[in-house]
Amino acid sequence: MAKRRLKGGNVRVLDSLPMLIICIALVSALYFVCLARIASNNSMRYMIQIFLYITMAEMWNLLSGFTGMTSLGQQLYIGLAGYSVAVATTKLHLTLGLGLGIGVAISVVVALVMSLLLYRMEGMYFSVATWVVAEIFEKLFLNWKYVGQGSGMTIRIVPYPRIHEICVVALTVCVFAVATVYLLLRTKVGLGLTAMRDDIGAASAVGVNVFNHKLLVYAIAAAFTAIAAGIFLVNKGIVYPESGFSISWTVSLIFIVIVGGSGTVGGPIVGSVIYVFLQEYLARFPGWSNIILGTITILTILFLPKGIVGTLQEKLGFEIFSAKRFSYAKHR
Amino acid sequence: MDNILEFIDVNAGYGRVQILNDLSFEVKKGEVYGVIGPNGSGKTTMFNALLGLIKPGSGRIIFDGVDITRMSANVRCKMGLGRTFQIPRPFENMSLYENVLVAAVHGSAQSERFAKDHALSSLKLTGLYDKRETRAGELTLLDRKRLEIARALGTDPKLLLLDEVAAGLTDAEVKDMMELVASLKDSGYSIIWIEHIIETMVGSTDSLMCMAQGSCVISGDPREVIESEEVQRLYLGVEDDE
Repeated sequence: MAKRRLKGGNVRVLDSLPMLIICIALVSALYFVCLARIASNNSMRYMIQIFLYITMAEMWNLLSGFTGMTSLGQQLYIGLAGYSVAVATTKLHLTLGLGLGIGVAISVVVALVMSLLLYRMEGMYFSVATWVVAEIFEKLFLNWKYVGQGSGMTIRIVPYPRIHEICVVALTVCVFAVATVYLLLRTKVGLGLTAMRDDIGAASAVGVNVFNHKLLVYAIAAAFTAIAAGIFLVNKGIVYPESGFSISWTVSLIFIVIVGGSGTVGGPIVGSVIYVFLQEYLARFPGWSNIILGTITILTILFLPKGIVGTLQEKLGFEIFSAKRFSYAKHR
Repeated sequence: MDNILEFIDVNAGYGRVQILNDLSFEVKKGEVYGVIGPNGSGKTTMFNALLGLIKPGSGRIIFDGVDITRMSANVRCKMGLGRTFQIPRPFENMSLYENVLVAAVHGSAQSERFAKDHALSSLKLTGLYDKRETRAGELTLLDRKRLEIARALGTDPKLLLLDEVAAGLTDAEVKDMMELVASLKDSGYSIIWIEHIIETMVGSTDSLMCMAQGSCVISGDPREVIESEEVQRLYLGVEDDE
C-alpha cells in the first residue's frame, strides 16, 4: 500500500507517488465540482473561503511555525492587495488578473523594504512591529482621498467574474500555495527551515543562514497572502480601511494554524475547514463568536499543543506531506 | 603554518563590561587543547569571541592563517569552526540523521546528495549510527552530548570547540566521552576543550591553558600546568572557600 514501514524509525510517511495520485484525484474532483457547477452558489461561497484561508494560513504557518516570525501584521498585505485590485479595475479599468499582479508586486516590494526594519527585531518585538506597520497603513488609507477615505472603494469589474470562476481561481491559488510550501520544505532551504522551527540559535550555529531564510519566507508569504486576499475581496465586492487592514484577519489565521497544527503542512488545511464552518455556525450568536473562538484556541494550546494534525501524526506515527529525510531512502 | 588558531592580545566583553584582557594563546594543528579556569574567568566568552558572537574591542584572532577578527559567525562556521553547546540544543522533532544532515548541508554548503555520506560518517564516528532514525528529543544526556559533537562534525570543521561536553555525566560516561575525543583527534581534528573536571583534562589533552580574569595564567604541558604554583593557588584556593 501507500504506507511503508521503515526499519528503526518511528515515523511512516506517505510515499511521493501515492501522495501525488491522491492529490491529483482530489484536486481534479474539486475542479470538476466548480466547473460543472454541481455545487450550489452557497456551497461555492464556503469553498472559496476555505481555499483562500488555506492559502493565507499556510503562509502564516510558514512564518510562525517554521521561522519563528510570529507576524501580527499579515493584514498589511491583505489591505494592499484589496486596494490594488480596486484601483486597478475600478479606476484604471485594467483586468482583474493585472490588478492581482500589481497587488502581489506591491506587497513583495513592501515586504522587502519592511524586512530591513523588521529583522532587527525578534519575537514579541517583531510581532508588535508588524502590527503597528499595518495600523499605520490603515490610517494612511483612511485619509487618502483618491481611494475613498473611510468609506473605501467598491470593486467594479466589467463583466464581474461569476462565482464559479472565482472558485476555480481560488482553488488554483490554494493548490499552488500548498505545493509551494511542500516543495520548499523538500529542498535544502526547507531542511534549514525545519531546523529553525526547532531551535533557531542552534540552526544558526551549524551554518544555516537564518537571515536569508527569513527574508525568502517573508517575501513568499507576502505574495501568496496578497493574491489570496485580492480574490477574497473581489468576492466581497468592497474594500475599506477597517476591513482591509483589520487585525481580525491575522487572528483568524492564528486560530486556523493553532487548531489545525502549527509546523505541519496539513494543519492549515484542516484548520481552515473547521474555521469556515464554525464561523458560519457562530454567526447566530453575534458578540459571542470571538469569545468562543478564543476559548477554543486557548483550550487547544493547553490540551493539544500540536494541534489536530500534529497530535494525530504523533499518535499514529504517520505523516502526510512529510518533509522528513531518511538515511536509507534512495536519492531523490 | 603550524598553528590552527592564534589569539593575539584580544580584548572583548559585553557592552562596557570587559571580560577578556589581552588574551593571547595559540593552538597547534591536530592537538587537543584544554582550557580550565574558575567560574567567570572568561572561558565561554573566549569561545563567543572565537565564534564571532561578540566582537573584540582590540586584538586579533587568526584561524588557519586567516585573520577572522571581523568576520561574521556564519562565515566562520563555513570556514571550519564547529561548536557544541554547553547545554545540548538538538532539533528535537528531527531524527538524529536529519540533525546532522542540516549541519552537513548548510555548514559545509553541500547538496543533500553529497551531504548524506558525510552525515552518516559523523554519526558513525560518534557512535550514534544505530540510533540515526530516533527522534532527537528522546535521547539521554550522554547521547545528546554526542549529538552535539556529531552535528558539529557535520559542518566539516577544522577546529572543534567542545564546551563542557563531560559536565553532568557519570564517571563511566565521562570515560566514554574521553575515548570519543581521543578518536576525534586520531581522525585529524584539532580540538579546543573547555572543562571543569581536572583529571579528565590532564588525561586527554596535549596542551592545557588555565584562564583567570580574562587572561592566560599559564599554558603548556597539562601535568606541569596543573602542578604549577599559579594553578594550585587559583584553583584549590577557590575550592577551599566553598
